[in-house]
Parts: sequence; C-alpha cells; structure tokens
Amino acid sequence: MIARLASLFPISLAFLAVAPAAAQEPSAVVIAVPPLTTPDGSDRGAGGPAAIAWQATQLIASDLRSTSELVPVGPNQKDYYSYPEVTAPTFSKWRNQGAKYVLTGFVRANSDGRFAVGCYVYDVSRGRELGRIGFAVNADDWRRAAHKCSGLAYTAATGAQAGIFDTQIAYVAESGAGMDKTKRIAVMDSDGTNQHFVTVGDSLVLTPRLSPKAGHLAYVSYVGGQPHIRVVDFDTNQQRPLVPTGGMTFAPRYSADGTRIVFSMQQGSNTDIFVVGADGGLPQRLTASPGVDTSASFAPDGNQIVFESDRSGAQQLYVMNADGTGQRRISFGGGWYADPVWSPDGQWIAFTRRIPGVGTRVGIMKPDGTGERLLSDGPADESPDWAPSSREIIFERTGVDGRPALARIAISGGEARRVVTPQDGSDPDWSGVID
Amino acid sequence: MRPSLIFIALALVATAASAQLPGLRKRTGPPAIQQAPLLVGIDALRADFLARSGADKVYFGGDAAVLTPQAQATLQAQAAWLRQHPEVVVRIEGYADSSDTRDHALAVGARRAEEVRSYLVLLGVPAVQLTTLSWGKEKTAVLGSAPAALALNRRAVTVLVR
Repeated sequence: MIARLASLFPISLAFLAVAPAAAQEPSAVVIAVPPLTTPDGSDRGAGGPAAIAWQATQLIASDLRSTSELVPVGPNQKDYYSYPEVTAPTFSKWRNQGAKYVLTGFVRANSDGRFAVGCYVYDVSRGRELGRIGFAVNADDWRRAAHKCSGLAYTAATGAQAGIFDTQIAYVAESGAGMDKTKRIAVMDSDGTNQHFVTVGDSLVLTPRLSPKAGHLAYVSYVGGQPHIRVVDFDTNQQRPLVPTGGMTFAPRYSADGTRIVFSMQQGSNTDIFVVGADGGLPQRLTASPGVDTSASFAPDGNQIVFESDRSGAQQLYVMNADGTGQRRISFGGGWYADPVWSPDGQWIAFTRRIPGVGTRVGIMKPDGTGERLLSDGPADESPDWAPSSREIIFERTGVDGRPALARIAISGGEARRVVTPQDGSDPDWSGVID
Repeated sequence: MRPSLIFIALALVATAASAQLPGLRKRTGPPAIQQAPLLVGIDALRADFLARSGADKVYFGGDAAVLTPQAQATLQAQAAWLRQHPEVVVRIEGYADSSDTRDHALAVGARRAEEVRSYLVLLGVPAVQLTTLSWGKEKTAVLGSAPAALALNRRAVTVLVR
C-alpha cells in the first residue's frame, strides 16, 4: 500500500526564503529554467548529483508547465551555469528571451550520502532575487525537493500558496465496462508518478477522499454488501468503517483541518447529511429535509458547509452553518447543480451542472451564488475537485466511447488538459498541501 | 408462540410446492421429504419467479422514484409469488442512469429500491423477506448515453437471494 512521504529537511541557504505576495495577472508568464548545476568534480554517473540535477530540472519545468499559467523555457544544456554562477545569473540574456523570471539551483552530494538541493528565483527585469529554498534529501526523495523548487517559482510568479506541486491525487482506476467493470482506489503523486492501489478490486469502490495532508483516505466500499464509508490510515495500513451502521453511508469529505468528516446517510427514501470526528465518535445530524441531501463540503475555515439537495424538486446547491443552521439555497439556474466543493482559498465553489439536452459541465460560483461560470465544454464532465492552489480544478470527463478519464482546467479559462493515468480514471480527489 | 407456529406450517407447505419444480403444479398429496429444498432449488425458484411475475425489474422515469402503472402491475405479480414463498428472501436493487451524478445516484437508487420495498409490503409481503441495496450509477445494464439506454438503466431489480 502507500508509504508515507519521508520528511524533507530544510537547509539554510544563508537567507530566509522571501516570497512576495504580489499576485500577477493570471496570463501566461515566461520563466527561464536553466539546468540545475553541480559543483566541479561531482559524480557524473547515473544516480549521481549531475544526473539528478538534470532530472530535477526537467521535473521543475514540467511542474510549471502543468499550471498553464507559467511557460517554462528550458532546460537546455547550453544554458548550464557553473556552481558559483547560480546566485549570479545573467539577466540580460533571459530578458532578451522574454522571460520574466529565472529559476537557478544546484544539486550537491553530501558526505552523509544525502543530496543538498537548492533553488533560487529571480525577477529578470529588476535583477532581484525573489526567494530561495533548500533541502537535504535522500537519493529517493529528490523529486519532492524539485517540487518544492517548482512551488517557490510558482509562488513568486503568482502569489499562490507554496507546496502545491508536492501533493497527491486519489481517484478510482477502472477497467472493463458495464456489469463487468472493476474499480480500484488509486493514489498517485500529483505529477503522475508513484501510482499505488489502495484496494484490490474485489469489491466495488467509489469516491476516494484524501485527508488534507494525505495521511488518511475515506472512500465508499461495497465490501460486505451495503455501500458504506471506510477510512484508511496510511501510517498503519489499518482500515475501519467510519460509523457502525447497517445502512448506506456515502459522500465523505474531510474538513480542511482534517478533524471532521461530513457524509451522507440513507434511511429509507431519505438521505441526510451528518458530521463525525475523523477519529470516530457519535455522528451529528445536520439536515432533516425529506429529500436527498448529499455531497457536502466544508468551507476552509470549517464554519460553513456547501451541499446539494433536491428538496426543491431538482438538485440545487445550498450553504449552511457547520451545525446545520441557516440553510439557504445559492444556485438558481436551469437544470441541476451537484457535487459542490469549496475551494481551499474559500473564494469559490466548484460544481457539476446538468443541463437537459446539453450534458454535464463543471463550473464555479461564489459562495453567495454570484459569479457563476461554466469552465468545461463537456459533453460529460463531472466530479470536480480543487487543486491546492485554488487556481485549477481536476474533474472526470467521460469520452464519447463511454470511458472516463481525469482532466484539469484553470479557472481563469483555457482548454481542459488530460491527466494521464495507467487505466481509465474517475472520482478524482486532490489533497491539500502536505507540508 | 402461536403466530410463529402458523408461519412455520405455511413455510413447509410453500417449500413443498417449490420442491417439485419445474412442474409448477400444486400437489394435493402429502409433502415430499424435506431435503434442504432451498439449497438445490434457488435457480429453479428464480426461473419460477420470473415466469410467474413476468419481470424481475421495473423501470422509472427521469429523476423519479414513482411507480408507473406498468411497474405496479409487475410488482403485484411479484408480491403474489412472494406471498406464496415466504421462505424466500429477496434483495431489491435500485439503479440510477449514468446522466446522474455519483453521490445523488446512490441516493436515487436507494429511493427506488425503497419505493419497491414499500409497495411490496403494502401488498402483503412480510418485510422480513425484503432487503434493499443501491448500486447508484454503477453496474450499467445498457451502455451508452442515448435516452433509450438511460431509461433501461433507471431500474429496480428484485433478486432472489435465498
């Protein structure tokens, strides 16, 4: 199963990292990514610092490209800096190439067998350092350090929270079709590497939901007959039902601080929303309408919950206080609104909208119901979840062949892009920032 | 004590009737020797249930869990059979179509199964014979997003489990 992420040890690079909060326009910005360097005389063989430096640079460029907000230039071997030049890059060269930022860095073998990875980000036009970050890592963990470098650059360029590249995505890996479909819960790093299966495919499974720091996972399983929520602890690899009930429980989602899980429970024809401590305890009922109340999601401050209900006759979005009081409808457009998810920055609610004769789309609206925008162009898009940056949405897109795949789209606009998975994928869930 | 004694007696008669499948004719003579008829007879029972009820499934419109007249007729036939076979336990499996969203589909499937269960109880089938399960939008019977395919997936299936 899943191995917990090893710790990264920050190392001092003489100055504290300084990340400017100034947000830029969300248009594409060019950032130069010359190869990370190594000290003279470093091992140039496979697995040595030079090889890792080159791979890390490619990963950083790939991370930044994946945002659709930054356009990385490089890495090109001809742009190689020597070790001392890392903190003194040539700005005029990058300025001439239209770059607004440049990221430099190094990989160095330490005497204890670990590697030191350091990165620096500069504003090219001002010739000024914007931030630096460094880690001592085991040879296997260089990817995480590279993701942190990507985050440093992304934060410097956009003002978004750091750490968004060092995250995980859970989803349902599918094979077969119709009655013979097999579904397994899978978890991967958000760059597509380190695929693991959490379940083996002997029971139908749905809707994996990672805890914010990806240490736990809640999902729906048909093991034993009735669909019910189970919780996996990746530290111990132990599993347990979320609540002891013979009835159907589903639609789990963690609060942003990881202490609570909001979920739905069916009783007869009625489905209501409940909340329970992530470690157990007595569930508390939050809704009591005689319809289907489900797909609940906490606001990042934990004080409010958005959910869907068909109490009006069709699925619409509602917001309530975390104790169930103050329920109010926020969506009023035609068709049905479903699958609401509150963004990590609290600014938006992502949703699936079913439009008769058109299909399903994913979109966003403000928590007060204003500012609605459909983001994807369908025809069958659903199950959105937020990237930890709050600037992108990952969702499930079913092709004309009926096969589901994962895709991501920036909320600032643009085309949806496929998230490559080894098998068909559905029900994506993106963790929060892990550390 | 008395009601349960009556129940057992009924069960024996019904078991005996089932045990002589697939002839399907009620026998007037003494019951056959009891030799775990349920274990050997589940497939035959299923075939008999399907033949006598006309259908093991009912269909629903759009987002609804409302039983159509046709669905009610099917369930009346199912109820008649189930009343004659009180030893049989069924699982009513509710489904939504693929145009629904995942979570809502689970609730809709449960609602459809519950609607069928309530109607069978109303028709005199003991509740102990009836369990329910929702498959949501999983286990698609007919692939595709055409309206006709979606309609065939909005269903509740009565499955004999023992």
